[in-house]
Amino acid sequence: MSPTDRSTAEPVMITGIGAVSPLGCDFAEIAENLLAGRSGVQVIDPGDYAREPVQFAAPVTRIPAPPPEACGLAAEEFERLGRLERLCLAPAAAALVDAGIDRQGGPRIGLVLGLGAEHLKVWELDFLAGGSDVFGDGRDRTVVHRLARRLGIRGPAVTVAAACASSGYAMAMGRTWLDAGWVDACVVGGCDILSPTSIAAFYNLRALSRRNDDPGKASRPFDGDRDGFVMGEGGAFFVLERRRDAVARGARLRGELAGVGMSSDGAHMVIPSSDPVHASRAIAAALTDAAVAPDEIDYVNAHAAGTPVGDVAEAGAIRMALGDATDGVPVSSTKSMSGHMISGAAAFEALACLAAIDRQAVPPTVNLDRPDPQCRLDHVPHVFRPRRIRVAASNSFGFGGSNLCLVLRAA
Amino acid sequence: MTPLPLRQRRETPDCGIRAHATVEAPLSAVAALRDLPPPAGSPPLPPRFLRHCDEQTVVAVRAVLDALARLPEPQPLDRCGVVAAPCQAGRIATARSLAQLRVGGAVTVSPHIVPQCSLHSLAGAVSVALGMHGPHLGIGGGPDALAEGLFAAMTLFHGGAAAGCDAVWLLASAWDDEPLLDLSGAPLNDPVCRAVALLLVPDAEATDERLTLTLDVSGAPPAIVEPTSLAEFCRAVEMCAAGSALTAWGVSCPWGAEVRLAARVPAVRMPGPRRREAA
Repeated sequence: MSPTDRSTAEPVMITGIGAVSPLGCDFAEIAENLLAGRSGVQVIDPGDYAREPVQFAAPVTRIPAPPPEACGLAAEEFERLGRLERLCLAPAAAALVDAGIDRQGGPRIGLVLGLGAEHLKVWELDFLAGGSDVFGDGRDRTVVHRLARRLGIRGPAVTVAAACASSGYAMAMGRTWLDAGWVDACVVGGCDILSPTSIAAFYNLRALSRRNDDPGKASRPFDGDRDGFVMGEGGAFFVLERRRDAVARGARLRGELAGVGMSSDGAHMVIPSSDPVHASRAIAAALTDAAVAPDEIDYVNAHAAGTPVGDVAEAGAIRMALGDATDGVPVSSTKSMSGHMISGAAAFEALACLAAIDRQAVPPTVNLDRPDPQCRLDHVPHVFRPRRIRVAASNSFGFGGSNLCLVLRAA
Repeated sequence: MTPLPLRQRRETPDCGIRAHATVEAPLSAVAALRDLPPPAGSPPLPPRFLRHCDEQTVVAVRAVLDALARLPEPQPLDRCGVVAAPCQAGRIATARSLAQLRVGGAVTVSPHIVPQCSLHSLAGAVSVALGMHGPHLGIGGGPDALAEGLFAAMTLFHGGAAAGCDAVWLLASAWDDEPLLDLSGAPLNDPVCRAVALLLVPDAEATDERLTLTLDVSGAPPAIVEPTSLAEFCRAVEMCAAGSALTAWGVSCPWGAEVRLAARVPAVRMPGPRRREAA
């Protein structure tokens, strides 16, 4: 088996997009909300097990049912599925519909689902509904296989988890399958669901913002007054195809997944390394993979979740990777509006890069009132910035010191 | 155990297995494994590193250490990646956490449950414990985890420079039977937890490796593929490595691909000029 040489490999294009998010469920709506600086953060029902009387997050308020021909389910059957499965199935089906791929006897299609804590959440949701699956000894197949069956996908189907970078790794894996010729098209992405246990666990880790008095201002990446992230829900899926195949069938090219870089800190299960060398290596590898120089990057969508340690570490990694070009590259964190979708975050932020390319504007970091001097970058606070954007990079970092950078290029 | 029929046997393996180990431990023995010193010849772990880890992580980390201890030379770990495929990990910690949540509310939820009991946790623990800087991924999570993990490990090898690693640890773990728990999350049975660790290297570097893996993606999707038992796979690894009559074993993926484990037939060594001179 020979590793892929990207310099001679066929470009891998994005030909379909689907999403469910706190900022909407289709590309145009999400792009508009991102550029308008609208926040999806709101007060949520704290439920019976909440630690605080007021809780906030960025929930998905509507999961549109896919057309029956896309997933084999009538709308009422779709509504009877569990919330996690609906959150994954709706955008994955939407991406396939958007791509316009004929799945009947057509290309070999694969599926890579970025989802980090499926069993924890499935058991929890069952428990909160009065069930006892977690105490029993059942062993069920995972969501990815049910998705593949419903979507008529007969190629490889795998769940991949890299904590908050999961859906980005799913995109990277799908691109490799295309490079290797194992599939002709691949549905890639990820989604996540709000859950009381996760909220409590992140709260008890002191990773969440506690700004109960002003939830709309709670998600403030790179700001000097940030105090943690805001949980979000949802994610995004894409259809990837080799350029020649996509062009041959007349597909609409939405962008190119031009570069991937990955690394691990190898340092701590929770806290990102204060040494930016490994995170910056992922960014540099993605640029090399995409054959772009640092000064050719037009926008960086930062992972920046709003944690005191993480944002500083990322700013250092960006500066180390981009070097002298850093001050000329605008950086923003769309988590300031969408919250942190955990498993779905990387794919949603790849979508934000495509929106920036489509609208030729950098989405802002809202709530960035007083940039932290330790996060010295070319920030885009409060309002979008018009700019020619051909190449955008998106960072994702996760628990366990997982580092990923994707480079998206205009088609 | 019957070897699966091999279709379209390919001549060239995709990777060699430089080191391997399998470990099994009943649930009642996992607590002791957390504090067991590493075997001679393997690197030390950070102090008390395993104290909050899931049981499957504890057993799989031991498999990695055992595999390293068997190597004649120390293995550089800096540029290793990790693909870890646990099956339904985190059940006991989740059950305890949910039981506590019901009684004591959110304040009682362990902050460790997400970092230590999610799908990425085993891969992350190995990466952190041994200072690996290649990518680390959790794969599968369910009954098909072994097949998904093998396929994903092959993907990392195909990823080229973007993957940034020279070798990949493939780990798979599972309970032989799932833990059965009371309503407080305390176990009612003593199931065996099992793990395998394989250090995969590109085949070009692996001519001395006795075991190989080959991916065959040509198969058509079968109607139903029963998940491969991790216990049987572990047995196949040990038998192939020991030079027994079993020389190949296939893991079928639900989508029709197959990953084949095989024992390499040792090359017949002809006496060379230098040996004759020495004689």
